[in-house]
Amino acid sequence: MNPLALLAAAPAVPYDKAGRYVAAAFIVLFAVVVIYVAIMATKLQRLERDLSELNSALDERERAAAAPDAAAAPPAPEAAARRRDEVAT
Amino acid sequence: MYGKGLRALTLATLIALTATFALVVFYAPNDADQGFIQKIFYVHVPVAIITLVAYVVGGIFAYRQLRTDDRRWDVRSYVVIHIALIFNVVGLLTGAIWAKASWGHWWVWDEPTLVSFLIVFLLYATYQPLRFSIEDPERQARYASVFAVIAGAFVPLNFMAVRMATSLVHPRTFATADGGLPGEMMFVFLVSIVAMGLLFWTLVKYEIAQKNVTWQLRALRRRLLGDDAVAPIGRSAAPTIAPEARP
Repeated sequence: MNPLALLAAAPAVPYDKAGRYVAAAFIVLFAVVVIYVAIMATKLQRLERDLSELNSALDERERAAAAPDAAAAPPAPEAAARRRDEVAT
Repeated sequence: MYGKGLRALTLATLIALTATFALVVFYAPNDADQGFIQKIFYVHVPVAIITLVAYVVGGIFAYRQLRTDDRRWDVRSYVVIHIALIFNVVGLLTGAIWAKASWGHWWVWDEPTLVSFLIVFLLYATYQPLRFSIEDPERQARYASVFAVIAGAFVPLNFMAVRMATSLVHPRTFATADGGLPGEMMFVFLVSIVAMGLLFWTLVKYEIAQKNVTWQLRALRRRLLGDDAVAPIGRSAAPTIAPEARP
């Protein structure tokens, strides 16, 4: 069935006092849900911030662990060749 | 994993709430006595029923906590009671709107159903301060569970006492002598109860998942950066040990 036809066939919502009270009751329910979702969104933001902090701390730790290895590693072929050229001149 | 199935549950809740709203507006007939105002019934009564059932469920979870000393039951009991309190506020507000529309007053003190619902709300409003007043998490969980069990037992007793009280003002949903709801209204009412129940359970699952992730992150921070990197836990009404982050 066409939704527009269904809408047209449906009883009219009274926009007088009664309609306003019924709308207010439904709005209370949805407002509470929206407030709850907003609070949960704030908490989610906090969790994301904590997670990114932990990620950067982990990155720093990995960099620090990799740095001494790089110092102890044998020189790269290009650097070794350059050094050889310097010694030759 | 408390987030498991949350997407499906959220979708089901959205569909059920939309269906309820559409049925209330387009399908449910207007009440012969109250007219269009009676449609508040499809929000107010299911919310009130779910609230009372949730308080009893919170008491059952608290009983499990006392029996097993498993803190996961304390978390579940706390979250269920927390969301039930929010639903209780919605029930009180929608009831006040209905009272104003039908009786011309926001509140009627000589109506046992309204006053008993307020008493239940005030009783559970002390749950959070009670938890907050106890710093030791173990004692907090135990005392809060004892409270939740006793208060949970009070809820059905209170409901029965109110049903037995004679009142000419507040309507009965499932009347026994004067006939109940007509079929179409009953159908919409049952759909609404399912929708509110789904909404309740979705919010509970979201909150438990959020608490669990928070505590997992805290445990991870401690493992990665050491004890000094983790801020000390202040006094809180919420349970302070995560279900899955325990040592």
